[in-house]
Amino acid sequence: QEVDMLQQAETLKTVFSDPQNFNVKHPLYSPWTLWFDSPATKGRNLPQTPISSFPQTPVPQTPGNVAAGGWMDDIKRVISFDSVEEFWGLYNNIVPPSQLPQKANYYLFKEGIIPAWEDEANKNGGKWSIQLPKDKNRNNVDKMWLYTMLAAIGETFDPAFANAEPTDTRESLVTGVIVSTRPQFYRISIWTRQAPQSDEDVKLRDRIEGIGKHFKTSVLQYSESQKLGGPLATEVEFLSHKDSEKKGKAARKIVV
Amino acid sequence: SSTKQTPISAPLPSALATARIIEDLGRVSYPEGIMSPKPELNVNAKNGKFRYDREFLLQFMSICKEKPDHLPPLDAIGLEPVDQSQFTMSRGGSGRRQASGAM
Repeated sequence: QEVDMLQQAETLKTVFSDPQNFNVKHPLYSPWTLWFDSPATKGRNLPQTPISSFPQTPVPQTPGNVAAGGWMDDIKRVISFDSVEEFWGLYNNIVPPSQLPQKANYYLFKEGIIPAWEDEANKNGGKWSIQLPKDKNRNNVDKMWLYTMLAAIGETFDPAFANAEPTDTRESLVTGVIVSTRPQFYRISIWTRQAPQSDEDVKLRDRIEGIGKHFKTSVLQYSESQKLGGPLATEVEFLSHKDSEKKGKAARKIVV
Repeated sequence: SSTKQTPISAPLPSALATARIIEDLGRVSYPEGIMSPKPELNVNAKNGKFRYDREFLLQFMSICKEKPDHLPPLDAIGLEPVDQSQFTMSRGGSGRRQASGAM
C-alpha cells in the first residue's frame, strides 16, 4: 500500500487530468501583479487589504515624482500570481473591461515593477498603444484585453526574446500591460523597458517594432496593413515616456 | 490517535495551494485532446522559466474557475461591475427610456 501511495505521489497530475486534485501547476516565466484604479478607489483607505501592506512607491523627491507618489495612493493592488492556473482563477472571478466604470484602469505588471514612469524598469522605456472607440468595440475589448494579458504572461510579446538563442541572456522588453476605459473610448497599452532614443538605434527600434507588429496582428488580430485611425481611434503607435511628456511636436511616434 | 496519518482522500485546502511547480514540461503528459505548449517556445528552458502560446493557455479558461484565496473582496477596492445598458440608454435614440432618470 505504501508503494501505491509513493507511485501516486510521483504521478504528475495537471488540472486537465484532475481538476480537483491536481498536484502540479504551470509556472509563469515571471510573477505578475494586477493593479486597479477608478474614481471609486480614490481616497479609499482600507486597513485590512493587501494594498495597505504594500510599501509605498520608492520615489526620489522631485516634483514629478511626488505627484506620482500621490497618484500611487489611489491605485489598488488587486493580486499577485505566478502560475497559469492562478491567472485563470483570477480571470474568471474579476470584472472584464467592458463592465468597468468609466475612467478605470487595469495595470498588469511584472511583480516588483510599479505601473508608473518613475519605476526604474519603466523610466527609460515607452509604450505601444491603441485607442478604440467605445461603441464599436464594446464587444471586442474583453477579448483584446485577454489576448494582451496572455501574450504578456506567456512571454510571447517580444519576438526577439521569444525566439532568442539559448545563450541569449537578454530579458523581455515588456514590463506591463494596461487597459483603460474612458467615456468615449478604450485604450490598451504595452509598456517596454527601453525605447529607441534616436534613429541610429536601429537594433532596438527593430525589436520594439516587432512587439508592435505582434500586438497589432496576433493579439488584436488586425491585418498588418490595416488602417485603424479615425474619430476617437488611433493606429497602433509607440511613444517613449520621455516624448510623452513633451506632447505635440517634439514627440517621435513609431506606427505599425 | 491524533498522530494517525490523514487518509489521502481527505479534502485538501485547495489543489492550487498545494500543487508543485512543474520543473520539466517534458515530464508532463496531457490527456488526449489537450495541446502541449509549443515546444519551440521552450527550447532549453530551465528553472521553470516557461513561455506559453495563447492556444495552450486558453485551454485552462473553462477549467480553472476557482476564486484565488488571496483575492480581496472586489467591492472593498471599488472594483464592481457596472451595468453597461445604462450607457447605451444615456445616449438617447434607440433603446428603452429609463424610467427613473437616475442618470
